[in-house]
Amino acid sequence: MQNALRDAAIVEVRSRVLEACLMQSQLPDGMPLDVLVNDTLYHERKRLEIDRKSPTWAEDLAFWDGIKNRLGRASDHEIKDILKSVLERFTEEIRGNFSPVLYGVATRIMPRALPMLLNAMSPKRLLQRGLPDIAETIRIQGNVAAIKRMNELGTVILTPTHVSNLDSPVIGWAIFAMGLPAFTYGAGLNLFSNPVMSLFMRNLGAYRVDRQKTAPLYKDVLKEYATVSLELGQPNLFFPAGTRVRSGQVEQRLKLGLLSSGLRAYTNNLLKKKEKQNIYIVPCTLNYHLVLEAETLIEDHLQREGKARYIILDDESTRARKILNFTQNLINLDARITVHIGDPIDPFGNQVDPETGASIDRHGREIDIRRYVTDRQGVPVHLPQRDRVYTAEAGEAIGREFLKHNVIVSTQLVAFTLWEMLRHRHRELDMYRLIRTGDEGAGTSASTLVERVLRVWQALRAREARRELHLEEGVVQTGDAATIVQTALRHFGTYHAKPVLARRGDRVFSEDMKLLFYYSNRLRGYGLEKELEPILKEVA
Amino acid sequence: MVTQSSSSSPGGASYTHASVIGGGSWGTALAHLMAVAGIKVKLWMRSEERVREINATHTNSRYLKDRPIHPAIEATSDLRSAASFAETLIVAIPSANFRSVAFELGECVSGDQILVSATKGFEAERLTRMSQILREETCCLKVGAISGPNLADEVMDNQPTATVVASPLEEVVEKVGLLLAGPTLRVYGNHDLVGVEVMGALKNIIAIAAGVCTGMGYGQNSLAMLLTRGLAEISRFGEALGADRMTALGLAGLGDLIATCASPLSRNNSLGRKLAAGMSLAEAQADSIKVAEGVNTTYAASKHAARLGVDMPITRAVNAILFQEHKPADVLVKLMSRANRYEHNEVPIDAPRPVEGSVIDTALSVAARNRGW
Repeated sequence: MQNALRDAAIVEVRSRVLEACLMQSQLPDGMPLDVLVNDTLYHERKRLEIDRKSPTWAEDLAFWDGIKNRLGRASDHEIKDILKSVLERFTEEIRGNFSPVLYGVATRIMPRALPMLLNAMSPKRLLQRGLPDIAETIRIQGNVAAIKRMNELGTVILTPTHVSNLDSPVIGWAIFAMGLPAFTYGAGLNLFSNPVMSLFMRNLGAYRVDRQKTAPLYKDVLKEYATVSLELGQPNLFFPAGTRVRSGQVEQRLKLGLLSSGLRAYTNNLLKKKEKQNIYIVPCTLNYHLVLEAETLIEDHLQREGKARYIILDDESTRARKILNFTQNLINLDARITVHIGDPIDPFGNQVDPETGASIDRHGREIDIRRYVTDRQGVPVHLPQRDRVYTAEAGEAIGREFLKHNVIVSTQLVAFTLWEMLRHRHRELDMYRLIRTGDEGAGTSASTLVERVLRVWQALRAREARRELHLEEGVVQTGDAATIVQTALRHFGTYHAKPVLARRGDRVFSEDMKLLFYYSNRLRGYGLEKELEPILKEVA
Repeated sequence: MVTQSSSSSPGGASYTHASVIGGGSWGTALAHLMAVAGIKVKLWMRSEERVREINATHTNSRYLKDRPIHPAIEATSDLRSAASFAETLIVAIPSANFRSVAFELGECVSGDQILVSATKGFEAERLTRMSQILREETCCLKVGAISGPNLADEVMDNQPTATVVASPLEEVVEKVGLLLAGPTLRVYGNHDLVGVEVMGALKNIIAIAAGVCTGMGYGQNSLAMLLTRGLAEISRFGEALGADRMTALGLAGLGDLIATCASPLSRNNSLGRKLAAGMSLAEAQADSIKVAEGVNTTYAASKHAARLGVDMPITRAVNAILFQEHKPADVLVKLMSRANRYEHNEVPIDAPRPVEGSVIDTALSVAARNRGW
């Protein structure tokens, strides 16, 4: 966002949140201002007890101690001032810094500098080892024309799937490559942790989001910042899963909090009779042969079943060597990252005509969407309960689009086939035991695997014909099962600490069941397991 | 084209106007109920002849014999005029024709309107609920359903009862509730739209079974067993579809089940009794002009039960009588000879149980098992 625009947004956010705080405090069951500030203070102090590594820890502690002292002897009027300084603190922290010149430079350098961005490794050492060029490995496909058109007609919210910390730079670069302006997006503080990365992230339009901050007031500020920036016509990028998907599945349960700012901005646009009122959501999928942090993610998924989720602060993406290996593998194996742009939808989950930008129903009939939010006099109104239901509809529509625009790659296809075969072969074991014991060194005949992969491929092909998913261009499109298996083996053998699969003689062995499970999960949600059960449980 | 300028906003205010789509017995009864409470009601039906009858003589003799219908109800065969008459439309069309009427409705409604289904049934192919059809065929997002122990004839006779208005949207529950509530009808709200619709539909299967049971001459013990176990299996099915178990115990579940299974007025119940008397399904259906939704629902539920992993013995039995020409007596023998089970988790009583507990407990259990215990 341009600096002037950003400053206007910050001012607007502060005044809106402050006004809302004051208004609700007047209500009989509202939260009095001192309670509100105390609640925020409580959450922040609790965070500071744990989050000692935070670079602003000492500063934060001093600030909140100051708030605590002031609160003790504050009059009603002073409490309002205290609230103001809290809001100021939060908004200053998320403030990004955008320089159009740097944006151009950043996006041009970024692909080559990606490994440097993701870690604190010295640029000199990187240069010595040669710089892989990510740009060559990113393939952008799908409805690119529509996202450009929507950007002309209204304000776009791009909602990608989220599996890796690489997603932010990859999508950032894709936005630039498509010729779109910089998108505003909230990136986790860990992406700002090194100074080089931080500089680039800010200049890619990112603002800082501290996921350790749990105070409801902070979340309100973040949400309102997204809303205001949309109202200012600034395209936004949200990862609707909220965090990287641990299981490897295509995400279906989405966080609706941030997403609801699209609907709120739309209603505000109507109220202000803005020229460009429409907000368009464009789902998109990011598809990798290998996922940088796969080991950590699946480990977390398996441990977390039934437990509270925690935020991974240290994983493969913070380790220099890992990232270098990963990026070099991308080049060596000619493995492309596919960014697949989906079809636009409106904030209510309706489809949108890609040419006119008008919302349409399932029979292609045009919908006057203003009617969803206006009262009987035609005046737009915010109704939070109604809007939550609408946003849930939009969330479901995004989930459906994710599945529809998921691009299946060789590693996932082969992992799914073998995982399902093993699961049937060891029916007596539950999932966790299967993961622990694996296939007990017996392996699977390579020719059987190839034959089963072909059967799964045929089922996938039928789904592709029905536009329910995509098969990756190249090997997977051909349906040559032997080559697909070979390609997958090549990928699986190179990057991860243990090869996921290895071929010895005419048998294929799964060396890392957790990762096999992880990669197989990308094919769930299509009903393949049930349909292919008779084929996959056949004993060779 | 659904886009309209705000000046052509649907006619009446939220709480004073309503349209009912479908002039069968339940649709007419709903229109009557609201007209009695002073609400202006338009009632849409396809048949010109019945439109004339309702407007001229204020009866709907095909479905409600000579019962007088409130004279303020205006019947029409013009769907567009019915759709634009009110903000809220209640759709009471048999499930078999529901989609085609909903599609037509999609041509003439706008996004601020409320569409509520009063039909209890599924579309067999994908187990689609009626409110889902309204969502799929129209641009409306404000959808809901009404369901409960509401036998049309009793409602027409002004006997007190209650109904559930279900929708995830408070606005829908509130507005429809205000339209329907009156001296003889209490309204309860529920956000569990899935549960309310699923229970309303599935209970018809149990109603057919209850009809068969009564028709075979069995008394209250048998009926009580059927209702209780029937409720257990339909609530399992509902849960698999995402319903809240509590909804099964509410008006749309248990309430409606009691009404339909106990009343000779219920279409599904009387169909069951005809089957017990030896009629084939075709004969029993030909014997009544009203649609027994339970027939379709039995087919749909049987088709999807295995996929959802839900065991539905009573539904299977009804399905065998309806579509496989099994004799009720044979089916009953089969039902009664099923393994004895634990009531809540359906585990057979004599199934080997996993050994659990402390080391000593385990050792003792294994020793006992080895001795044949």
